[in-house]
Amino acid sequence: MTATAKSNDLRVGNTSTTKNYDLRRRRILWGWLFLSPWIVGFFLFYFIPMISSLVFSFTNFDLSRPNEIEFVGLRNWGSLFADPNVGASLLNTLKYGLVALPLSVIIPILIATLLNDKRLWGKQLVRTLFYLPFMVPTVASAFIWAGYLNPETGWLNRFFSTIGITLPNWMYDPQAIYFGLFFISLWGIGNSILIMIAGMQTVPSELYEAARVDGAPPLTIFRRITLPMISPVIFYNVVLTTIALFRFFDAPFMLKGSTGNPAGSTLFYNIYVYRVAFPQQSMGYGSTLAWLLFVIALIVTIAIFLVARRFVYYANEEN
Amino acid sequence: MLRKKFGIALIVLMAALSVLPVSAQEPVIIRWLVGLGTGVNPPQVPPQEQIVADFNASRSDIQIEVQFVETGASIDTLSTLIASGNAPDIVGPVGVQGSQAFADAYLDLTPLIESSGFDLSQYNPEAVDFYRVEGEGLLGLPYAVYPSFIGYNADLFDEAGLNYPPDAFGAPYVMPDGTEVEWNFDTLAEIGRMLTVDANGYAANEPEFDPTAIVQYGYSPQFASAQGIGTLFGAGTVVAEDGSAQIPDSWREAFAWVHDGIFGEQPFIPSEPVTATDEWGTGNPFSTGKIAMMNMHVWYITCCLGEVVKNWDTGAMPTYNGTITAKLHADNFRILETTEHPEEAFEVLQYLTIERGAELLQVYGGMPALAADQPAFFDVFTEAYPNINQELITDALSYVDVPSHEGNMPNFAESNARLDQFSSLFRSTPDLDLDEALATLQSDLQAIFDRAAES
Amino acid sequence: MATKKNTAIAVPAPSENTQTSTVLFHHARRYTAGAILTLFALLLLLVYLSPFGYMGVTALKSNEQIISGSLLPASPQQFEYQGELYDVVNVPTENGIQQWALVEPGRTTSQFIDPANPSAGLIEWEGRWRGLERVSSLDLQWNNFAIAFERVKFPRMLFNTAAIAVIGVVGTLISCTLVAYGFARFPIPGKNVLFIILISTIILPRQVTLVPTYAFFAALGWTGTWLPLLIPHFFANAYNVFLLRQYFMTLPRELDEAAMIDGANPFQILLRVIIPQAYPVLVAVGLFHFVFAWNDYFEPLLYLINAPELQPISVGIQQFNDLYTREPALLQATSIMALVPPVILFLLSQKVFMRGVVVTGVDK
Repeated sequence: MTATAKSNDLRVGNTSTTKNYDLRRRRILWGWLFLSPWIVGFFLFYFIPMISSLVFSFTNFDLSRPNEIEFVGLRNWGSLFADPNVGASLLNTLKYGLVALPLSVIIPILIATLLNDKRLWGKQLVRTLFYLPFMVPTVASAFIWAGYLNPETGWLNRFFSTIGITLPNWMYDPQAIYFGLFFISLWGIGNSILIMIAGMQTVPSELYEAARVDGAPPLTIFRRITLPMISPVIFYNVVLTTIALFRFFDAPFMLKGSTGNPAGSTLFYNIYVYRVAFPQQSMGYGSTLAWLLFVIALIVTIAIFLVARRFVYYANEEN
Repeated sequence: MLRKKFGIALIVLMAALSVLPVSAQEPVIIRWLVGLGTGVNPPQVPPQEQIVADFNASRSDIQIEVQFVETGASIDTLSTLIASGNAPDIVGPVGVQGSQAFADAYLDLTPLIESSGFDLSQYNPEAVDFYRVEGEGLLGLPYAVYPSFIGYNADLFDEAGLNYPPDAFGAPYVMPDGTEVEWNFDTLAEIGRMLTVDANGYAANEPEFDPTAIVQYGYSPQFASAQGIGTLFGAGTVVAEDGSAQIPDSWREAFAWVHDGIFGEQPFIPSEPVTATDEWGTGNPFSTGKIAMMNMHVWYITCCLGEVVKNWDTGAMPTYNGTITAKLHADNFRILETTEHPEEAFEVLQYLTIERGAELLQVYGGMPALAADQPAFFDVFTEAYPNINQELITDALSYVDVPSHEGNMPNFAESNARLDQFSSLFRSTPDLDLDEALATLQSDLQAIFDRAAES
Repeated sequence: MATKKNTAIAVPAPSENTQTSTVLFHHARRYTAGAILTLFALLLLLVYLSPFGYMGVTALKSNEQIISGSLLPASPQQFEYQGELYDVVNVPTENGIQQWALVEPGRTTSQFIDPANPSAGLIEWEGRWRGLERVSSLDLQWNNFAIAFERVKFPRMLFNTAAIAVIGVVGTLISCTLVAYGFARFPIPGKNVLFIILISTIILPRQVTLVPTYAFFAALGWTGTWLPLLIPHFFANAYNVFLLRQYFMTLPRELDEAAMIDGANPFQILLRVIIPQAYPVLVAVGLFHFVFAWNDYFEPLLYLINAPELQPISVGIQQFNDLYTREPALLQATSIMALVPPVILFLLSQKVFMRGVVVTGVDK
């Protein structure tokens, strides 16, 4: 590890200061070079749309009358407070996230451990099968789930009723539908599982061998070696899942449109944004809502980043 | 400072948009978007494409480009296209509700009518007025009307040994024992119960009936919104004269009647969870052949009957408290305000709705709005569908709902969404305090109206 | 020192004396452990994939079968009588169960015809016919696939989808690798701020950036082409850059430095040191993008609305989802067909996964 220190060492007093300074400058330039595709792309494809939508939030931009756009100042932003749907939809999103986030992070780790185990047979096939649902187009999977979870004829409820258990009405009960939506999202964890496996496979094998030599029990190995070594990947998963939860849209939209049925329980924040922007054509107010989400989600993401410093271990950094 | 930034952004956006190339030598392309209403079902596509091809072959100065978008995605797609300056020139066929979604996007046809010398007098003045909007002008020409009636499955009536619903408005119904009764919603409910059967063959009005194993239902108000269902019992609107929110009394009764029909002691109407299943037609239960009666509009005949129902027929709407209401759908074609070629678009509009209008009506299943054209329409229509009752359908036009169940409401999109929520609620919740739900609906609508008034 | 617990880890420590019986014992242990694990995994899969059963069964049903509500695609036996087809039913009579065709159902009495003796005319039977069981046999509608294939113009759409996906994968892999490398290895000032900006590009809901983005591409004249769906991916996207950056940061720097000392420039280090160590995650990124592009629906719909010959499968499949006339069987059949290429790709890429297991080069 001491070899690392030298090339990044900028302390005054170092005999080869000038050389190091040049070296550092060159590395910075190289860094910019590598970042350039994204920077160019950001300005081409993201910056203008993002700024435009911010500008729209200060207007009364109506989709069907684009030529009558007018500047209205902070009126949209003020409406946020008077709009009951804002609080309600944020609450719905929070309720769902509280359940979905921990499970969406933990379950893939567990399954990845299972699938990464050397003793498992037919690993290729098993992994493909776990990834399979992720590859189904959304429109088809919405149909499948709508049929599967239907309280009258769906397989799930029908199966359990034959053994005498009445399952809740997944699609029409305001509370049960969150679980229904969670089942659907479980189908999409193929991605996370795969990433976890990729991460687990980078853990240097000699760490495991050393632990075995020491006779450490598997749970300790998991806790002390596997988890920290894959913590960057777990961190990735946590950040993206959090962002995805703020943006939760596809599944409830496919099942219930933007109606929020039953009884407003599926009116998640992003569904409300969509409903304001498109069916109601108020792109101005819709942009305002979107930017509020942006601010909240950004704050949460940065918070996760700050917390992560304590827990995420990168093999090439000094402890 | 903010104004300046906004101005700059707008200039940047406008500058970007002005780069759109404009060619003068090539033919004017008029884009026609189908999907806001009917017209995108597989059997309907080829005839429309043929009509477009015929036009394109005969003209070199104008060419039509037709785009079909599934109804579900059409509103979002059109919104994006309009907002980003890439809108089509013509949309159609579009109904009242579809046009409400884009209320301010349509072109006033008055100057075009005057400049082209189009003869407006051929239309019934009331029909024309229907498409006049204050402050906006004449947004469309009367084209197609779709009256409604009771569509029924004759085989199911035969099996039950029941007489068919009356074939004329106002006629009585003959019960199995020979007595004549008024054909009203109570009667409909009564025979609906006899037509609702469980897996063992017992009807809803028999003691051995098992409501957990229903295999056939008597009646289904499918595709009807909350407003549509309310209108069955009498036309009305949620917007009172003074602009506040109200629930018309007739609508209250209708909701209660339907709710009881679904969840009552002797059900005869399927609930929403049931009709949502594949087994029951995924929202179109009548096409499964397991529903005895539905309220049907003419457009249903050409798009959605399916192959399973062999013997269907048309019957009169029942009365409620002495009134018959046969709600109406109406479609026409509209030109978008953003068009760059209004004259050419108007020409194409005439081609589609007048020159080839009769053929398209057969495709869409729409009656011509012009009374004079109706006999010719039926001559052709009855060739394809010999069982329909031409007199009955034409008669239905005398009982249309005024105000329209699709009529305007403040902040239409949000009000409509709230009403949709109610529609789903009372059709899927067994133990529902209907009065309470209606009270909440009314106050929510009031809040929506209030917010609309502020902006 | 911890005691050697007899847990699932059965590999004998190298320093132990290994006698044949001990080895066999440990191998047997390992074998059973493997069996149990696999069984558990399969059980989990059974539950996890059960909705696929619904998908497969639906895809093989005809419309009538779906309406009948039977679990499996089964059609009733039918008998033709006077030009019409009638279902054959098991009818209980005094002479036992007869298989007759139901000609005229009635509420309390029905008319049947005996297929073995049609000239005898209609037989009247008292009883409720609905409780009677239809004589049916399994009747899988394999031609649903053929119908869907035809309706969706599958070969063309398959080509379109594959082209969009593959080109996108190439663009993503190249650009995201470069950018992630920059974030992971170089001391750029303000790097963390830039990274937050990167992440923030995926936070804003797509609905509000859709209109300006579309207007931009329309102004360029790119609507009706694949370009809006392809070009942005050549400029990196946050998801993949984030993942690759995380991954690259777990790779120890020793190898980098060794190469630097040998005089390699950063680009060569990327090619010769970083990428070889990163095969699993690169394959993962390629696969993710492929699947995303394969199923992406709204943007292709929007940009290719007037170019049906360029549309991918995800747009073509929508024709079975119309508001008024849904066709569940064809929808699922098309989905199954659309699943095949990604699955094959996935199976093949597994090999690279296996091969790419990291051997850490630093054996001190």
